[in-house]
Amino acid sequence: MAIDTEKLSGAESLRKTRTYGKVRCHNPSCMGRLQPRSGDDHVKCPTCGMEYRLVWVRPDFPRIRGPVWDVNRRLAQEVLAKKAAKKEGK
Amino acid sequence: MALNRKIAYIDLSTGKVETKPIPLEVRKKFLGGRGLDAYLLFNHTEKGIDPLGPKNTLMVSAGILTATCASATARTHIMAKSPLTDLLGSANMGGFFAPELAWAGFHHLVIKGKAEKPIYLWIHNGEIELRDASQLWGKTTTETQWAIREELGDEDIKSAVIGPAGENLVRIANVMTGIKNAAGRSGMGAVMGSKNLKAIAVRGTMDIKIAYPLEALEYNKRFIDQIVSAKVNQTQGTLGTPFIWGATNSWGGIRTRNFQYNQCEYADDIEPERIDEICTETMGPYHMTGCFGCQVHCRAQYRIPSGPYAGKYDEGPEYTSQGAFGGEPDCKNAVTVLTGNHLVDQWGMDNLETGSLISWAMELSEEGILTSKDIDGLDLRFGNDEALLEMIRRIAFREGWLGDTLAEGGIRAAEKIGKDSFEYLIQVKGMSNLHSDERATPALALGIATGSRGSDHLRSRPAIDLYHLPEEVLRKIYSNPVPYDGPLSSEHTSYVGKPWQVLWQELCYMGVDCLGICKYHTTFLGATLPNFEDWAKVIYYNTGLEITPTDIWTVAERCYNIERLFNLREGLTRDDPKKGDTLNHRYFDEPCRRGAPDVIGSKIDRKKFKKMIDEYYEHHGWDENGVPREETLKRLGLDKEPSHLL
Repeated sequence: MAIDTEKLSGAESLRKTRTYGKVRCHNPSCMGRLQPRSGDDHVKCPTCGMEYRLVWVRPDFPRIRGPVWDVNRRLAQEVLAKKAAKKEGK
Repeated sequence: MALNRKIAYIDLSTGKVETKPIPLEVRKKFLGGRGLDAYLLFNHTEKGIDPLGPKNTLMVSAGILTATCASATARTHIMAKSPLTDLLGSANMGGFFAPELAWAGFHHLVIKGKAEKPIYLWIHNGEIELRDASQLWGKTTTETQWAIREELGDEDIKSAVIGPAGENLVRIANVMTGIKNAAGRSGMGAVMGSKNLKAIAVRGTMDIKIAYPLEALEYNKRFIDQIVSAKVNQTQGTLGTPFIWGATNSWGGIRTRNFQYNQCEYADDIEPERIDEICTETMGPYHMTGCFGCQVHCRAQYRIPSGPYAGKYDEGPEYTSQGAFGGEPDCKNAVTVLTGNHLVDQWGMDNLETGSLISWAMELSEEGILTSKDIDGLDLRFGNDEALLEMIRRIAFREGWLGDTLAEGGIRAAEKIGKDSFEYLIQVKGMSNLHSDERATPALALGIATGSRGSDHLRSRPAIDLYHLPEEVLRKIYSNPVPYDGPLSSEHTSYVGKPWQVLWQELCYMGVDCLGICKYHTTFLGATLPNFEDWAKVIYYNTGLEITPTDIWTVAERCYNIERLFNLREGLTRDDPKKGDTLNHRYFDEPCRRGAPDVIGSKIDRKKFKKMIDEYYEHHGWDENGVPREETLKRLGLDKEPSHLL
């Protein structure tokens, strides 16, 4: 069986798309890439305003620990209220 | 070559053991593990048998790559007709059992009949003995494994065992090996219990011949690099699978209070980092460990820090235990999660099913459907940690009316409880859903609705759909190894192209299950992890079997279709709320009440969901009722099943 060991598989070739030092905003309509400064314990999405608590797997590898509950709850409720108002307006 | 492992047929009623080689023709069609088990199940069980009767056949297997030079081939697969769902029963566990089974000379066991009294199987270097297990009956899963080692005088024996729940025919009982490795889903522990089979102990020192050892080792370096360099695996190696729960809860994909909410708010004490702190405090900084041949090490070790079980050692908790004993019952206490995890491990019950059923009972209690008489005086409200832990015990030992009722699994329990209880049961095909909430993610909802063993995240979940990957990246993944030029969408709230993604993942997971590889080593949580293309090389170097990525795809399709044939034979129909490819009405009727903007307020659109199912069936070559078309069966060589090749 001839195997081309030099050729990268599809999955291997996708390695170049990896991003380090960034996290994604967890808001589905945003999903922006956020790049916190090394060691930061919070990050705010400049696009949608969601805020997250951060942890660092490694000094160059941040991860979202969870939302800043009060902030993100408020933002979600505001969006929901707007949607409801729009629906009623119809 | 590595394919010289055998299959053993063991009749517990007569004590007869027969062993056979596995023909290459069968290997090429089904590879091994889950795929070959599905073939055996379809061929060795009759329609409509009692899953807890002697006519049920239990398959225990290793993957085709198990114990070779390939990485992470630790998975043991177990299959039978499920006593929980009356459909396909299938469960999979890590640890060290499968490689030991292969070294002992076998890749597949087919266990029939029922022993007159409790026994265990002792399998060592090509020999199989049935031994008395009356002294083991009643022991916990860990006690059982150590008692066997002591009796046989070998500390390296690996055993797959049941705990008291399996002995008590609790329909959500699992099979365990090691401290926490569990073949958890669909009640395989109850099937072992029904056969009076307490354990299968294995020990082997037989050679596994590798076809091209140097090439296999060299290629495995590349494979390992692919695995350990993935960000998702670096996170798993630090925090274990709980990181998934944490990330999912952050945006609002965790079901809480049964199905009332989709986010466990202010749950800082059960976040993965808190669990990690406890592991560090009780076991030291190097508390992560792994299964056979794995470089990820996603399994945390801990001691319960306080409470009635303080000091007890266990491993995990997996994200399923965080959901089962944290989010779903709304118990935001790490000690409760760690204790619940420990109890189900020791008594041998599926953590996910246990937590889901208790949370369901909590909502029924809140709604007045279960009265205080039904719940035997227990204060079964959400957030009551003590009641949760007590209910785990009552289910395992079938104590009290409710303990005994929940031990029957969701559908049977709903029939017994009556009223509107079934409407609150979050299940598919009789199996409880994972703790996740899929109302904002149509692809994930489709995956659980169509899973061959019932609602499940490990059968077809396109988890990478949550990463908002660019379309060209999605296309690179989902257009291989067979071409796909249909639509794909980066939006995980979209319905576009999702049926193909679900089908692709379904076949990808079937592939790893045939090989015996862990799902964390494939395109499950990480887009850059190995799949069909990479496996072809690994199979060839290790076993000598010439197979292309497209061939592996076809094998997976064949195996998935034979699982479908089994389910259809046992009564699956498309829209049956108990046995069909359906979701609980709450997915369509109740919008999410929490989570990120655009998650809050979302629910599954019924019409679009139906269209997704149609499209999914079409991709499979099934008709509008979900039945494989004749040409599909012919193409896959399944038109003459059962064929009794083995």
